[in-house]
Amino acid sequence: MARAKIKRGSTHVDMTAMCDVAFLLLSFFILTGQFKPSEAVEISPPNSVSNKHAPQKDAFTVSIDKDSRVFLGLTDDIKGDIWDELVKEKNLKVTAQDKQDFLGTDFIGVPFSQLLQFIKIPADQKKNVKMPGIPVDSTNNELQAWIGAASTAGEGKKLNFLIKGDNNAKYPVFGSVIDAFKKNDIFKYNLITNAEDAPPGTALYEENLKAQHKDD
Amino acid sequence: MAEMEVKSGGGHKKGPGVKKGKKLSTRVDLTPMVDLGFLLITFFIFTTTLAEPTSMNLAMPKDTKDPNQENKVKESGSLTLMLGKGNVIYYYYGNDPTKMQTTGYKDVRKLIIDKKKNTPAEDLFIIIKPDKDATYKNAVDVLDEMTINDIGRYAMVDPTPDEYKLIQQTEQAGGVK
Repeated sequence: MARAKIKRGSTHVDMTAMCDVAFLLLSFFILTGQFKPSEAVEISPPNSVSNKHAPQKDAFTVSIDKDSRVFLGLTDDIKGDIWDELVKEKNLKVTAQDKQDFLGTDFIGVPFSQLLQFIKIPADQKKNVKMPGIPVDSTNNELQAWIGAASTAGEGKKLNFLIKGDNNAKYPVFGSVIDAFKKNDIFKYNLITNAEDAPPGTALYEENLKAQHKDD
Repeated sequence: MAEMEVKSGGGHKKGPGVKKGKKLSTRVDLTPMVDLGFLLITFFIFTTTLAEPTSMNLAMPKDTKDPNQENKVKESGSLTLMLGKGNVIYYYYGNDPTKMQTTGYKDVRKLIIDKKKNTPAEDLFIIIKPDKDATYKNAVDVLDEMTINDIGRYAMVDPTPDEYKLIQQTEQAGGVK
């Protein structure tokens, strides 16, 4: 009797299907991932043990760079309202085009006197403009007017006031920013930081451990 | 399919004049492409989740002119941390700034823990006074220490002119630039 021939299976696997899956996932992640919003200046925030995520909606972000200049960033969902409110409060003469220009501006770092001029600069050139920052001195605190306009415009909504400071920003500027908020009766803000683990052996560390055990 | 061309033996077996027209396989080995695909996926997963910044809540009290509404702090329970130039902390207990001592950001935690241990919880109050030369990082670091050590009662205020003068004198004496 002839012996049955055992066919050796090939060890090669068809990679086509796996390749398809890999690239499908890849395109999914690229498309859903949010791009980092363009920033006025590079700011490296300090670390903190806080692990709450910074709110991304209705955000009014005050940035302080390492030279202690103050910038303002608004999310698109509140930008239009704030502009209308500001125009009303400051009695500015503006056109519809100005509003469009403002909506296309990601960050503001100039005093009111230069604002209309600044928003007219095409978006791709704004980065190259050297901005003096928004004045926050006690004599001329324009940030206060911005916050005022924002809190009037954002009535009914919960605005998130974020402060994003650079490691090397000087404290007095931070103090003036807080003062500007205080004058508008706003006492709660979020400081944007990088996450860091609680150091072992401290009260917070023990608390986190307990919370973890509870979950288990 | 992913296949490799395997040459059987050496070329010496072929007789003279024997030429074989070999058909090239059109199949491409996709393994490296899959590797690359997954590498990119991991990259995108990591960068998108890590880029999301965290935030720390800060609530400030309303400024009050009325002294009756101000919080009273027990002298025995208070610890004042003054943040100076060059990442230095000056601290004193109670309300006598002249007994000021110097420490750094690495040792301040031990200081706070010790104070917390030796003080009844309802008396403990930490006053943070960043002076003009402190950086934003300093202020956030100290606020962070409050969270780390579970301090419920603390306040951030400006140093008094006397205290500021004292800090400057100490800095000059110590040669801090």
